[in-house]
Amino acid sequence: MLEKIKNNFNTQTWVLIPIAIAINIAIGQLVLVLKLPVFLDSIGTVLVAVLCGPWAGALTGALSNTIWGIAIDPSAFPWWPVAAMIGYMAGRMAQWGFFKSWWKVVVTGFVVAITAAIVSTPIAVYLFGGITASGSSFITAYLLQTGQGIWSAVVSTSFLTEPVDKITTAMLAFAIVQGLPRRTIGGYPKPEQVEVEGGEGEGGANNTQMYIAIGVVVLLVLFAAFMLRNILGG
Amino acid sequence: MHERLSFYIKRNSVIHHLNPLTKLTLVLALILIAFTSPWYWTPHLLVLIAIIPLSFLGKVAPEFFKTALRLILPAAGFLFLMQAFFQPVGETVIFKFYFLDMTQESLMFAFRNATRVIVMVSAFTFLLLTTHPSELMSDLTRRGLPGQFAYVIISTLQILPQMQAKAQTIISAQRSRGLDTESSFIRRMGSLTPLIGPLVFGSLAEVEERAIAIEARGFTSKKVKTSLHEIPDPSSDKLIRWVLIILVIISIALKLWLS
Repeated sequence: MLEKIKNNFNTQTWVLIPIAIAINIAIGQLVLVLKLPVFLDSIGTVLVAVLCGPWAGALTGALSNTIWGIAIDPSAFPWWPVAAMIGYMAGRMAQWGFFKSWWKVVVTGFVVAITAAIVSTPIAVYLFGGITASGSSFITAYLLQTGQGIWSAVVSTSFLTEPVDKITTAMLAFAIVQGLPRRTIGGYPKPEQVEVEGGEGEGGANNTQMYIAIGVVVLLVLFAAFMLRNILGG
Repeated sequence: MHERLSFYIKRNSVIHHLNPLTKLTLVLALILIAFTSPWYWTPHLLVLIAIIPLSFLGKVAPEFFKTALRLILPAAGFLFLMQAFFQPVGETVIFKFYFLDMTQESLMFAFRNATRVIVMVSAFTFLLLTTHPSELMSDLTRRGLPGQFAYVIISTLQILPQMQAKAQTIISAQRSRGLDTESSFIRRMGSLTPLIGPLVFGSLAEVEERAIAIEARGFTSKKVKTSLHEIPDPSSDKLIRWVLIILVIISIALKLWLS
């Protein structure tokens, strides 16, 4: 066990972690500038997770939220277990070979989103009584008013909002990893996890697959919007 | 040299001379008591009789209140409003707005939660104002925290402002080349790649170089390293820490006993 944790960390991991945390925060703020309806605040965490392993990913997530809480927005602080779990799960999925082609990356994003939704629910319920300071709490509040129980209201909100965000995150992280030179990737503990499968040339990372993956995300956005309209309208 | 993301203000006060670990214990104790105490008014009292006087004692009161106004109150105020309106508890309706109603119970609940958040954040602000991050980290390393953690925290605080500056430069540069960051949703989504790309690849290129540089300075060496700065830890500090730990235990015990 301890050996398995240790092999996530070499010097390059330790150097990557601060940069990944800074990437999380910088991109999170950049998305705010663009006014997009996603957070994208865990791209760095997913990068560390797939290149170095689940434990390194979990550490990056936890520290990322801690530092975000200390330096920028204090309300980010209590969510560190969610960020840690995102890193851990992304690392595990990569270990199982789910970070090698666009459609597998979509699956990874989806699994990570479900995990994040499950972990964030008890924090939202126990610490904040279900209503947090984030914008998506308007949905939770509405569901509560319609007579749903607190747990189901919080869970359904996360299930509506998380997948789009996490799948986009995973896809961007995949694109970044594909853009890195082979030599750089080789210095991290788990370079084989991100090796693209398939024979000819780019193989699994070809454009057709990318467009299909983007299509899936668009469909999910539409589905979430549709569900929202149903919930809020009915 | 590099600008460091740090709230630290160098003053000469009793608090500044305390051992960093004592201050960290103090902050954690305040937070734990605020969240576990069974008595409704504890968090409010902690702010009034502990945190605010401590900031005066540490001679950082003006900066403390400035940070509180800029950072803490907006976050806590928003949380308060959200909870006061949206908590579906209680019967006595005070205020109604469409389908939202504010009840006496939800108001009380929101008030306590917001104050707890204020305690948490302002205690941390107090710690950051009176303690230099490197001092805290070198003290914790001396007590057995792996040096790698200290490296991660300190260098993140160093890299972050640089990265934010770089992000701003990239946004301005791409805008001046005509990148659309303001119009329709699809356009804005599309402008994500030309913004993220340069930012991420630029920073990841440094990783290998940095790794070699710190490896050359004995980063992974198992030998005990000596420190240039000795951080004093008098017995009065140890006493304060024990008192704080006992207070936390009492608070948790009362909570368990009374509930």
